[in-house]
Amino acid sequence: MAEPQHTIHEKKDEPRAAAGEFEPKIIGFLCNWCSYAGADLCGVSRYQYPTNVRPVRVMCSTRISPHLVLDIFKAGADGILLGGCHLNDCHYISGNFYTEKRVRLMLKLLEDAGVDPKRLRLEWVSASEGEKFSKVVTEFTETIRNLGPNQVKKDAALRSKIAAADEASDTFRLRALVGKELGLEKTGNVYGNKLEQTELEKLIDIATKEEFERSLILELSKDKARSVKELGKIMEVPTDRVLRHIVVLRQKNMLSMDHPEGFTPTYKTIIIGGEQ
Amino acid sequence: MSSEAQPQTTAHATGVKEPDPKILVFCCNWCSYAGADLAGVSRLQMPPYFRTIRVMCSARVDPEFVLRAFQRGADGVLVAGCHPADCHYIGGNYRTRRRIALLKMLIQQFGFDPDRLRLEWVSAGEGEKFQKTIIEFTNTIKELGPSPMARGDE
Amino acid sequence: MATSDKVGAVMVVGGGISGMQSALDLADSGYKVYLVEKQPSIGGTMAQLDKTFPTNDCAMCIMAPKLVATGRHHNIDLITNAEIAIVDGQAGNFTVTVKQHAFRVDTKKCTGCGSCAQKCPIETTNEYDENTKMRKAIYVRYPQAVPLVYAIDADKCIGCGICAEECKAKAVEYDQKEKVLEVKVGSIILSPGFDEFNPRLKTEYGYGVCKNVVSSIEFERLLSATGPYMGTVLRPSDGDIPEKIAFIQCVGSRDEHCGNEYCSSVCCMYSMKQAVIAKEHGGNIKPSIFFMDMRAFGKEFDEYYNRAQNEYGIKFVRSRVAAVSEDPKTKNLTLKYVEKGEPKEEEFQMVVLAVGLRPPADAENLSRIMKFRLNDDGFAQTTTFTPVETSRPGIFVSGAFSAPKDIPMTVAEASGAAAKAGTEIATVRGTLVTKKEYPKEMSVEGQEPRIGVFVCDCGINIAGVVKVSEVVEYAKTLPNVVYAAENLYTCSQDTQEKIKEKIKEFKLNRVVVASCTPRTHEPLFQNTIREAGLNAYLFEMANIRDQCSWIHMHEPKAATKKSKDLVRMAVAKSRLLEPLQNLEINVNPQALVIGGGVTGMTSALELAKQGFKVHLVEKEKVLGGNTPKLHYLPTGEDPVAFVKELDKEISANKNITVYTGTTAKAIDGYVGNFKTTLASGEQIDHGVVILAIGAQEYKPEGEYLYGKNKNVMTLLEFKEKLSKNEAKGNEYVFIQCVGSREDKHPNCSRVCCTGTMTAALEIKKKDPNAKVFVLYRDIRTYGFREKFYKEASSKGVTFIRFEDKEKPKVEEKNGKLEVTVKDEDTGKDIFLKTDYLVLASGTRPQHDAEALAPMLKVPITKEGFFLEAHMKLRPLDFATEGVYLAGLAHGPKFVDESIAQALGAVSRATTVLSKKTLEAEGIVAEIEEKLCDGCGICVPTCEYKALEVVKDKKDAEKKLVEVNVGLCKGCGACVGTCPSGALTQKGYKDSQIYAMIDAALEYDKPKQEVKQ
Repeated sequence: MAEPQHTIHEKKDEPRAAAGEFEPKIIGFLCNWCSYAGADLCGVSRYQYPTNVRPVRVMCSTRISPHLVLDIFKAGADGILLGGCHLNDCHYISGNFYTEKRVRLMLKLLEDAGVDPKRLRLEWVSASEGEKFSKVVTEFTETIRNLGPNQVKKDAALRSKIAAADEASDTFRLRALVGKELGLEKTGNVYGNKLEQTELEKLIDIATKEEFERSLILELSKDKARSVKELGKIMEVPTDRVLRHIVVLRQKNMLSMDHPEGFTPTYKTIIIGGEQ
Repeated sequence: MSSEAQPQTTAHATGVKEPDPKILVFCCNWCSYAGADLAGVSRLQMPPYFRTIRVMCSARVDPEFVLRAFQRGADGVLVAGCHPADCHYIGGNYRTRRRIALLKMLIQQFGFDPDRLRLEWVSAGEGEKFQKTIIEFTNTIKELGPSPMARGDE
Repeated sequence: MATSDKVGAVMVVGGGISGMQSALDLADSGYKVYLVEKQPSIGGTMAQLDKTFPTNDCAMCIMAPKLVATGRHHNIDLITNAEIAIVDGQAGNFTVTVKQHAFRVDTKKCTGCGSCAQKCPIETTNEYDENTKMRKAIYVRYPQAVPLVYAIDADKCIGCGICAEECKAKAVEYDQKEKVLEVKVGSIILSPGFDEFNPRLKTEYGYGVCKNVVSSIEFERLLSATGPYMGTVLRPSDGDIPEKIAFIQCVGSRDEHCGNEYCSSVCCMYSMKQAVIAKEHGGNIKPSIFFMDMRAFGKEFDEYYNRAQNEYGIKFVRSRVAAVSEDPKTKNLTLKYVEKGEPKEEEFQMVVLAVGLRPPADAENLSRIMKFRLNDDGFAQTTTFTPVETSRPGIFVSGAFSAPKDIPMTVAEASGAAAKAGTEIATVRGTLVTKKEYPKEMSVEGQEPRIGVFVCDCGINIAGVVKVSEVVEYAKTLPNVVYAAENLYTCSQDTQEKIKEKIKEFKLNRVVVASCTPRTHEPLFQNTIREAGLNAYLFEMANIRDQCSWIHMHEPKAATKKSKDLVRMAVAKSRLLEPLQNLEINVNPQALVIGGGVTGMTSALELAKQGFKVHLVEKEKVLGGNTPKLHYLPTGEDPVAFVKELDKEISANKNITVYTGTTAKAIDGYVGNFKTTLASGEQIDHGVVILAIGAQEYKPEGEYLYGKNKNVMTLLEFKEKLSKNEAKGNEYVFIQCVGSREDKHPNCSRVCCTGTMTAALEIKKKDPNAKVFVLYRDIRTYGFREKFYKEASSKGVTFIRFEDKEKPKVEEKNGKLEVTVKDEDTGKDIFLKTDYLVLASGTRPQHDAEALAPMLKVPITKEGFFLEAHMKLRPLDFATEGVYLAGLAHGPKFVDESIAQALGAVSRATTVLSKKTLEAEGIVAEIEEKLCDGCGICVPTCEYKALEVVKDKKDAEKKLVEVNVGLCKGCGACVGTCPSGALTQKGYKDSQIYAMIDAALEYDKPKQEVKQ
C-alpha cells in the first residue's frame, strides 16, 4: 500500500473549545468550479458558519478516490464533506456522476467498517449558492458533533476494520467495477447493452462486502496466525464464509497456512519482502 | 510448525549482505519440472536463488553432475523426480534414490554437509510441494552458509 | 458401399480420457480425427481426480502427456465448446453438423497467458473444482487445460471491456458468434462419459443442508493439491481438519427407491482410495467406510483393500446408513445404522457420500439425434458380444456411457471402439491424414555456433517483472550469440515468421527461446526452425516465465538476474547441441496372436478385416478357449453359438493362418521386426505380438471334498452338467471365493459371483422349487450384473454371508453332503443338506505366461498374470513396444470385457502395423564402443530392455553393450550408471549438462574449452 497521502495534525494555534467539548475535525473537498466558488460567495456575502471544516480545493469532485477518503478516516478525521457541481453542470462534463458512484462505494465501506456513514456527506453546491454552503457546513458540523469523535485511535478493532475498508477500496476489482459502472449504465457494455442500475449495484455491493471481508482477514492475520473460527468470531461472519474467503486469498498467494499439529489450522498474511 | 509460503528474503534486513546461495536443481521432465511449472502457473512465490536443469528422468543425474556442481561452487544441489511408482520410465526413480543416498555419504567425506544434497519427489500436481521444497532447501542452505569450496578450504 | 464413398475420418464425441485414447489411436493409425467436446477444454472427469486407485498415481501426472499429445497431434482437430446438432448418412459416410459455441476469444491468437482473468472483476464458482473455488468470468477450466485458451462465460460477463484492454495479443472478440460446422466422417465414437448422481435426492443424508456432508467428487477436489484447500483436508463449515470421516457407499446406486438399481462399479474403490489418501494427508484422520458389499473386483484391488484395512487402519462397517443428522452447534454429524442386528449411532466430523454414476444429461438428446438405442437405465445399449457397438452401424461407444466403469476398462474400450471405427473405413486409411513436409535440412557440421536468442515479454507476464531489454542486451554479450531480440509474444504466428527470417538473415545455426516452459512450447519452436531448414534438436529453451517471473513476482532484480543466468545456461548448452536424426525402423505389417480363445479369435479377425496378415497360434487342438465352457450367459445370449460363428469367420478369412496344437518356442526381435519359431517348427516374421493366452479355472483339489465326492464340483463343471440335464436334485449349495481372496491368492476372480447367479437362475428356471443356497463373503455383481443378483434373490435363492475366517465345513454323511456355515448375522451355525455342492473357484493364470514373459521381455505379476505398462492408462500395452495384451491373460474378466480388450489390442497394434516405418526417439542412448568394456552394469537399469551385452564383432575376446534404438525411450538411466563413460544420451550429453552446470555457477572456463 502506498504511504498515506494525508494526515491530520492538530493545529496548535487553533482556538480550543471549552473544556470537555468535542470540536469535530472535518475535511471539506471542494471542486474548483462550483463548490469552491460557492464557498467564496458565501464569504463575500458574509454568511457565517462553524470553523471546523478545513477546505481542500480540487479541480473536480471526482478527484477524490474512495481510497483517499478512507485513508483520512483511518488517520482520525471526524467527518468529510465533498462538494461538487450540480449534476449536468460539471465543468468536466460528467465528473460528478462518477463522484456519485464512488461515494456510494465509500458509504458502503464505511458501513462495513463500523463508521457511521453520516460522517461522509456529498453536496452539490453551485458557484451561486453561497447561502447553501453555509447551511450545509453548519448542519454537517452539527451532525458530526452529535455523532461524537472518530474512535479509530482508541479502538483497535475499529482501526483494523477501517484499514480493511481502505485496502478493499484500493483493490483492482472494486476500482474497476466502480470505474466502469457509469459507462455500463449510460453508454452500454461491449455487447451494446445498457445494464440495469439496480442489478449492477447489487453486484457491486456483493463484491464490496467480499473485498472488505477479505481485506479484514488479511488485516487481522498480519501479526498473528488465526484460525477460521477465530476470524469468524472477531468478524461476526459465518465460518464457512470465512473459509471461502481464505480459499480465494490462498489462491492469490496472500495468505499461508501454518501446518498445524492439532486439528485447527491457522493462517497468516504473507507480507512481501525482498529487494525491489 | 512450519510456515508454507513466507518468502525468506529478510536476510538483507540485518544489514550484513551475505552472498546469495547458489542452488542447482535437477528436475525430471515428466513430474518435477511439470510441478515447478504448476507452481509458476499458480503464482506460488519462492526464493530466486535456484537454477533448474531439466533432464528426462531423475535417473539420468549422473553422480558426476552432482560432484561437478559442488566443485564449481554450488552451495546446494536438489534432485527432484517423480514419486516412486509414478516414474514415466517405470522404475528410474528407484535407482535415483539409491544413488543419492550413496552420494550423500560421498560428499560428506569431501567435507560437505550431506544436507547440501537433497532428493525430493514432486509430482506434476504438486506445485505447492515444489514451492515448499525450494523454500525449505534455501533455508537449509542459508543456515549451512556458503559451500566449503567457496570459502576456499579446498 | 463402394470404397470411393467412404470417408477416412472419425468423429469422437467427448474428450475425456476415453475420447483422447480413441483419438490418439486413430490418428496414429492413419485416420483424420475430429474430437468434439462440450467443455471449452478436454480432459473430462479424470482431470478432476486427485489420485487414482490402485496405484495412488497422481491423475494429472499420468494424464497430462496424453492431454498434450492430443492437443498437438496434427491429425486431430479439436472442436471444443461444441455440441452435435445433426447426423446424416450411414456407416462409412456420415455428415455431422456441429454447433460450436462462441469463446468470445480468438482461439488462434490467445496464448493462454491469463492476464485477462487476473484483472476480470467478476467472480464466480469454478465448475472444475466442483464450486469449491472461484474463477473469473473469463477463464480456463483448469491450469493444465488443452487447448489452453481462455473463454468468456457469457452468463456471467457484464461486458466491462477490461479483458480486451488487458490482452496484449488482442485476442478478445466480444462479437464472436456461434459457429456451425459440417464435418464428413466414416465412423463416430461416443464417449461423453457420465454424470454423478445428485445426492440431494437422498434427503436422509443431508447433502446441501449440512455443510460438512460432501459428495465424493467434491472430496476429490478437497484432497487435491490444486484444490481449494491445497491438499489439506478441511471441513467446509469451519475449516477444521476432520478427525473422523465417514464414507457412505451406494448413494444413488443399488437403490431402486431413490436412484438406480445397478451398481456403479467404481465407488468402493474410489472411496477406499480417498480414505487412504486422506489418511496419508493427515495421520490423525480416522476414516470409516459404511458399505453393503465391498466390490474390489479388479486387478489387485483386493490387495489394496487388505492394505487399507491392515496398514492404514481404515474402519470398514458393513451396514447401510439409515440417516445423517447434524448437531446445529458443532456441525458434527451423527450416523444412524444397524450393524449385526444392533442399532447404532456414531458421531463424525465430516461425511463423504459415494455418489453413483448416471448416464450423462444429454444421453437422450444424443440418442435422438444419432438414432441409437439406450438401455433401460439410460446408458448406450450394447451386447455381450458387441461391447463397443451401439445399435446403429458405424456408431461406436466407449467408457462410462455404456455402463459405469473404471479408467483402465474405459481406456481399453476406447481403443476397442477405435479398432471398430477403423475397420469400417480401413480401405480408405491414410487418405485424409496429412504429413508435414519440411525443407531439406541445412548442414551445420564444422560450423562455429551462431546463436539467435529470442526473449519473450509474454505480454506483461514476463516483462512485468523481468527487465527483458536487459536480458536481451546481456544475451548479446554471450559467446557465439550473433542475434538477440525482445518479442511481445514469442509464440505468436508473426514471431514464428520473424524467427525464420532471422535464421536466414544472420545465418543462425542454433536458436534459443527464453519464454515459458518447453513442456508445452518446445515442439512449436522446433517446428519453426525445421521450417527454416534447421534440425529440430538445434533448439534450446530457457524457462523465464513459469519458473522465474511468476514465482519471483516481487523481486524484479533477482528475477532479472535469474533470467540472465537461465539464458546463459541455455546458450552454453546450445553451443554444444548437435543435429539428431530420428532413426527409422521398417515395419512388417503382420501380427502374431498367441492364444485362440475368444480374445485371440476376436483380435485376429479384426486385424484381418483391416487387411493385415495374422498368424493365430493355439496350443489346444481347437480354437475357442474357455467361452464355450460357460454354456450360459445371464443375459440369455449363447456363448457356444457365438464361438462357432467366430470359428467359421476365421476359417473363411484368407488373411488368417491358424496354427493349432503348438506354442511359440522362441521370439526374437523388436517392434516392427519380430521373428518367432513355433514348437512345430514353423518360422513367422511379424511386426507385433498380441498375448491372449487366457487363464484357467482353479481345481480345488482337497478342498470341500472336491475330488472325493462326485457331487462336489467347480462352477464350470457344474454348468456343463446342467446343460446336459445331468445335475438333477432338490438342494444346491454354492460356496464363493474358493481359491480367491486367500493368503496365496489375495485377489478377487471377478466373474464367479455373476457366474453363480447365472447357474442359480438356470436351476430355478428348470425347477422353481429347488432350494438354492449361496454362501458368500461379498457379492460382487457390479454394474448391470446387480440385476441378476436381485433376480436370484427374488426367485428365492438364499444368500448366507460367512466371515472371511469362518469358512464353511463340508462332510459326507450317509452318502449325502452336509454343509455347516456360521451365519454372520446371527452368529449361529446353519446346517444344509445338499445334493450338489458347487465351488465358485477362482481364475488362475496359464503357466505359459512364465515361458513367454522372458521371450518378449515383459513382466508378470506375482500371481502369474501379465503386468501391463501402466495399470491405469496403458492397460493393453507393455513397456516393450509392439507387444500387446488382452483378455484373461491380463486378469480375470467377463466375455464382453475380454472382447473389448481384444479389440483394444488390435487398435494399439494398428498404430504400428499401419505405418511403413516407425520413427524411433531422437533422444536415445548411444554407446562409444571404444570405451565400453561390456561390464553390463547398465543392462538391468533399462526398464525397456534396450541394452544387451554382445560379443564385439571386431574382437572376439571383447564384449560390448549394444543399444537397440527401436526399444530405447531416452530416459538416460543407463547413462547415469555407466562406470566407464561409454554410454551417452543424445540431446542430454554429459558435456552439455556440464556446460549448463558451469554456466549456472558462473564458472569461468578457459576459452578453448568452449569449442565443440
